[in-house]
Amino acid sequence: MPKRYVGKNIYKVDAQDKVTGKAIYPDDIYFDDMLYLKIKRATHPHAYLRRIDTSKAEKLPGVVKIITAADIPQVKNFGLIIKDQPVLVGIGQKMRYMGDALAIVIAESKEAASQAMGLIKVEVDKLEVISDPLRAMEKDAPLIHQDSNILATHYLKKGDIEKGFTQADIIVENEYRTSTLDHVPLQVETGVGIYDEESGVIKLWVATQWLHDTQADIAQSLGLSKEKIRIIQPVIGGAFGKKEDISVHLHLALAAMETKRPVKLTYTREESMIAQSKRHPFIIRMKTGVTNKGYLTACQVEVIGDTGAYASSGLAVVHKGMYHCTGPYNIDNVRGVAYTVYTNNTYCGAMRGFGTTQMAFAYESQMDILSCKLGIDPIQFRLQNAYDIGSTTPNGQRLTYSVGVKETIKEAANIAAWKEGRP
Amino acid sequence: MNKLNIELTVNGKKRKVETTTSTRLLDLIRDDLHLTGTKEGCGKGECGACTVIMNSELAASCLVLALQADGADITTIEGIGNDKCLDPVQKAFIETGAVQCGFCTPGMILAAKKLLEENPHPDEEEIKRGISGNLCRCTGYQKIIDAIKLAANRLSSSDSGRGEKDA
Repeated sequence: MPKRYVGKNIYKVDAQDKVTGKAIYPDDIYFDDMLYLKIKRATHPHAYLRRIDTSKAEKLPGVVKIITAADIPQVKNFGLIIKDQPVLVGIGQKMRYMGDALAIVIAESKEAASQAMGLIKVEVDKLEVISDPLRAMEKDAPLIHQDSNILATHYLKKGDIEKGFTQADIIVENEYRTSTLDHVPLQVETGVGIYDEESGVIKLWVATQWLHDTQADIAQSLGLSKEKIRIIQPVIGGAFGKKEDISVHLHLALAAMETKRPVKLTYTREESMIAQSKRHPFIIRMKTGVTNKGYLTACQVEVIGDTGAYASSGLAVVHKGMYHCTGPYNIDNVRGVAYTVYTNNTYCGAMRGFGTTQMAFAYESQMDILSCKLGIDPIQFRLQNAYDIGSTTPNGQRLTYSVGVKETIKEAANIAAWKEGRP
Repeated sequence: MNKLNIELTVNGKKRKVETTTSTRLLDLIRDDLHLTGTKEGCGKGECGACTVIMNSELAASCLVLALQADGADITTIEGIGNDKCLDPVQKAFIETGAVQCGFCTPGMILAAKKLLEENPHPDEEEIKRGISGNLCRCTGYQKIIDAIKLAANRLSSSDSGRGEKDA
């Protein structure tokens, strides 16, 4: 190797562009004849769309076109794992959360687009709004999609849970709840699109975390081949998982094809809060057994992850959370079940930690409660149960290298000046 | 919509711009002058990504109407330094790794410039207060604070004629 970088300070390759304001983020792209888009969104979190009247909005000066589902019958649903998200909700179809798109307003200016959006009239047939995943799981709850509101059930089994609890001297059982969280990357969802009539290629400048998956999903939704979709990744103003899902992409593509002009769509922060993915709120019911000497013997967990109106990465996030139910601690006997549940909340997807962050709140709380009951220092209690090389995770992975949890705990205690059970 | 002409100085240059009563200073800077280093993060004056220096004061340009900037003297990130001549604050941000996604960076640098102008030797608490109007969601605050300390050290040592310490 001619040059070595590890252990050296290397300047970030685009830092100079960013400190001088030269770095081009998607919203920084302008074309002379560019049109601006606004999305008319759901007026109720769970309702059938009965009527949508765009006539008044279309007459507003500056409005070029308003696209509704009736204009795009060939367009298919999209989604990261399950294709359950509509590009536009049509008459007789359901809006399932406040972020569902009903119409794309295309105008000569941002102001005209915003004004026109306010002139679109929508009539709906309201349904029961399910905001609580426990309600969604009840037998008499209305279905949010065609099949069960329980989108997926995952199981986990290691060792013999009954034996584990028999060996325990102390058993603690608690329910933990975590809240919905927005990633709040400083840059909201935004992009620019162009359609080249000659080649039939749609060019999109959009910040995305999964360039090729996004390209494939756009292509299948529009019924085009992948080479007709070209995504150019500009500088990304933060993502943290929120930019794994499709946001502005399909609406930009449709508007560009319709108008044959460059189009730009930038969410407002409110829109980003309402429409784009969140961290899953979890309900975690955890039962943990420990011997009088402070060794963990059993962990039983039930996870209910509210994935909101659409699946996104939900199935993967919720069961990954469950797999981490013991945290970095050795427990031979584990049993778990995880439900990924649809509700009418904003859909949830990937966010830093991917389900493990929520679970940490439960298992670390259990560790503190157990150490208190045992009368053992919580640092000592963690150290005597922590993973080593050779430990096995709840889903059977044997750890063969890079197990630094004990050193980490010791160093954290050291930095916190930990003494006799308190920092 | 009423069109109105205003005149303002941006990064030392006089600019005449046709604007409207509902245009924000941020829109004028980005859409009309194409100085896109000034960013919009929240549109509510909370995040500081749209920070500019207006008549020697920090301003959230998303909360200022373009008309209010008639006759004003505005400095955006493009007026701080460029590839040929970086400002010591810009240089320090690069060297300390204070830049991640970069979306907060222009506002942070302007807030840091203003802070160092008023207080050339800020302590850590004063630095934190100085950038308290600017959010970084990559959670890179520590390195941003390090950058401002480094810039302060270099500026004060060059003031006293000893030249840049570790440039």
